Amino acid sequence: MTHPTLATFRPATTEPDWMRRILIGLVIALLTVLLFAPLIAVFAEAGKRGLAFALQSLTDPDAQSAIRLTLTVAAISVPLNAAFGIAAAWAITKFDWRGKAFMITLIDLPFSVSPVVAGLCFVLLFGANSAIGGWLVAAGHPVIFAVPGVVVATMFITFPFVARELIPVMTEQGRAEEEAALTLGASGWRIFFTVTVPNIRWALLYGVLLCNARAMGEFGAVAVVSGKIRGQTSTMPLMIEMLYNEYLSVAAFTMATLLALLALVTLTLKSALEWRFADQLAASSRH
Amino acid sequence: MRALAFRSPSPMPGWGLSFGVMVLMLSLIVLMPIGTLLLRGAHIGLGEIWHIVNTERVRAALALSFRASLIAALFNLVFGLILAWVLVRYHFWGKRIIDAAIDLPFALPTAVAGIALTAIYAPNGAFGAILMNTFGLRVAYTELGIWIALIFVGLPFVVRTVQPVIEEIDREIEEASATLGASRMRTLRKVILPMLTPALLTGLALALARSVGEYGSVIFIAGNLPLQTEIAPLLIVIRLEEFDYNGAVAIALAMLAISFLMLLAINLIQVWSRRRMGAA
Amino acid sequence: MHIEIDDIAKTFGATTALHPVSLTIPSGALVALLGPSGSGKTTLLRILGGLEFPTSGRVLFDGFDATGLSVQERRAGFVFQHYALFRHMTVFENIAYGLRARARKSRPTNAEIERRVHKLLELIQLPDIAKRYPAQLSGGQRQRVALARALAIEPRMLLLDEPFGALDARVRKELRQGLRDIHDQTGLTTVFVTHDQEEAMELADLVVVMSMGRIEQIGKPTDISARPATDFVRAFISV
Repeated sequence: MTHPTLATFRPATTEPDWMRRILIGLVIALLTVLLFAPLIAVFAEAGKRGLAFALQSLTDPDAQSAIRLTLTVAAISVPLNAAFGIAAAWAITKFDWRGKAFMITLIDLPFSVSPVVAGLCFVLLFGANSAIGGWLVAAGHPVIFAVPGVVVATMFITFPFVARELIPVMTEQGRAEEEAALTLGASGWRIFFTVTVPNIRWALLYGVLLCNARAMGEFGAVAVVSGKIRGQTSTMPLMIEMLYNEYLSVAAFTMATLLALLALVTLTLKSALEWRFADQLAASSRH
Repeated sequence: MRALAFRSPSPMPGWGLSFGVMVLMLSLIVLMPIGTLLLRGAHIGLGEIWHIVNTERVRAALALSFRASLIAALFNLVFGLILAWVLVRYHFWGKRIIDAAIDLPFALPTAVAGIALTAIYAPNGAFGAILMNTFGLRVAYTELGIWIALIFVGLPFVVRTVQPVIEEIDREIEEASATLGASRMRTLRKVILPMLTPALLTGLALALARSVGEYGSVIFIAGNLPLQTEIAPLLIVIRLEEFDYNGAVAIALAMLAISFLMLLAINLIQVWSRRRMGAA
Repeated sequence: MHIEIDDIAKTFGATTALHPVSLTIPSGALVALLGPSGSGKTTLLRILGGLEFPTSGRVLFDGFDATGLSVQERRAGFVFQHYALFRHMTVFENIAYGLRARARKSRPTNAEIERRVHKLLELIQLPDIAKRYPAQLSGGQRQRVALARALAIEPRMLLLDEPFGALDARVRKELRQGLRDIHDQTGLTTVFVTHDQEEAMELADLVVVMSMGRIEQIGKPTDISARPATDFVRAFISV
């Protein structure tokens, strides 16, 4: 029997070397096939006929209108959802009342509803055949097959993002600092801006970042409510579908490249926040 | 009586404003739309919904959606566990990048993922051609393609729920198991795995909920042939385009009901496994 | 300031934190609320500070009913158990916070704020830490900064929740004397909560022994040790 030497000693809490190698290899191989390859494919397909050709496709008025619409929709829906998230987190974490858990379940509801079903809900509520919708159309403010529909559908899909990030963070931070500010005579808004906001700013930014990424990329719900009118209600993801179905592959992938870049920027900022401010983010919900 | 008061009194400011904004926005954006769907369902009636759902095409679409989601979620359960373990316990070059990349499916718009996966796995795509020529295997435009898309979409859920739990594991427990003579594999199976079960189930439930409703990343790669590769959300879209609102509502409600039952089952398993571990 | 607690009771849902209790605190006294955890002493302190509303009863400040006064209106200097310093502000900004929060017409000038903060830093014998952040301070320093912050608003009374609870034994002894000195210098009516009978006996003029939401005994430290009113008091102070 050979005695183990220092070189062959393995701590009791690790796996054998061969097993670790196999697992690391497996992980890298599968992620390459599933994650990295599709990402590279987006850029490769867009650049198939050269950069100039790809950029040319973005000068199309419909493409530009889609980019503008996507930015507009995000600019409306993200701040509104951030306001909701802050209000909900304040009401839930700074006060004691009945039914908090139920309220959180309701806030999370959009996560378990298919985007297509969400779109369907809005069509039923605001469509020309419904009571509210008929009245709105008659008044000249249609929601379905119009920009407001795209905004509300996007808000539904991204509804929980900010609240979900803030609630655990504010629960963990407790109320003592706000109470201290109260005893020092500060008013409500003063407490909010000088005590609460500095404590939650990174968590808020984190939530807004994820909310924005999802808002700009939403497809299913928007596809249902927008009517996909080119140059009017067509967002970037919808434009990608249209171009792709018309076999304008380079144009589709060029548009996709813009959104892929947005995703990469989001991931980079998100990782930077997690690395730098881990203690000020919700540890349990890293997505 | 005080004990039944809705809210305990507090000197903290902003109750009316914050509660008001929360309830108003929740009602307008989430509850009213979902309520409308349920009302419409009640109006159509259970019998008629059953009649619509119990047709060959709808049955096939629902079965496909739930089957593919379950397969993808189970794949991600195993792969996600391995991935989380490797990311927490092992050190290797490029680990940080891989950790950040796990969230790509959250950040990448589904339509982009859909056309990118199709480009790769189509018979003339980079991987599609290899699979076609060496194994005669078609991926894109078959159910296999749907699996791939749903695996992509659900990939981060299990990893992100299990990862923090692995980080929290006290190494002394593993050492105790080793001092008692258990092999490493036995420790992993009998000590570590039970500790991770509740988190694994949570991840599974999240991945399932997401996959069942997924639309954008699937429709490009699926082929969308009725009875074969047509998922339930697509069938809802088709019914809507035909202005068959009742048809769309019936399928949507069937999806919600099945999802609810599935998540309830997972929840019950979770409660059971938590109780077994003695953690309330 | 003279404080009168008149039949104050407090319930949280189904649990009773305070049975009706009454207590008179003479102006300028240094009072300890002494009891084990769950005795209701912190709840009583928070009711005095306006952080909690009583279910019934009244609080009188100098004979005026203060029960309905908001926290801000009470001007009670409150020192929290874990200090609740604003972690993103320097020591200077922490202490200046209450002065800056005042309405414009009663707000001191910046020069005046600076003068007052430095005077308070000298009072707590930490003149050189104005630019530091709470995370860079020791536990004892944090406690003293919290005290200075509470004093900055020129409070009508000083309320302290387990002021030495989070400190080790040596620092605790040191700061005990510090609190006594500050009390004697300012003459503020001071109420502090503690579960440490030695601390209460040594520091306070008047000790209020509490248990399970009731006041067991009120008296001078010497009287309480000489003549414990109930078995609970006897057992608690002999630990």
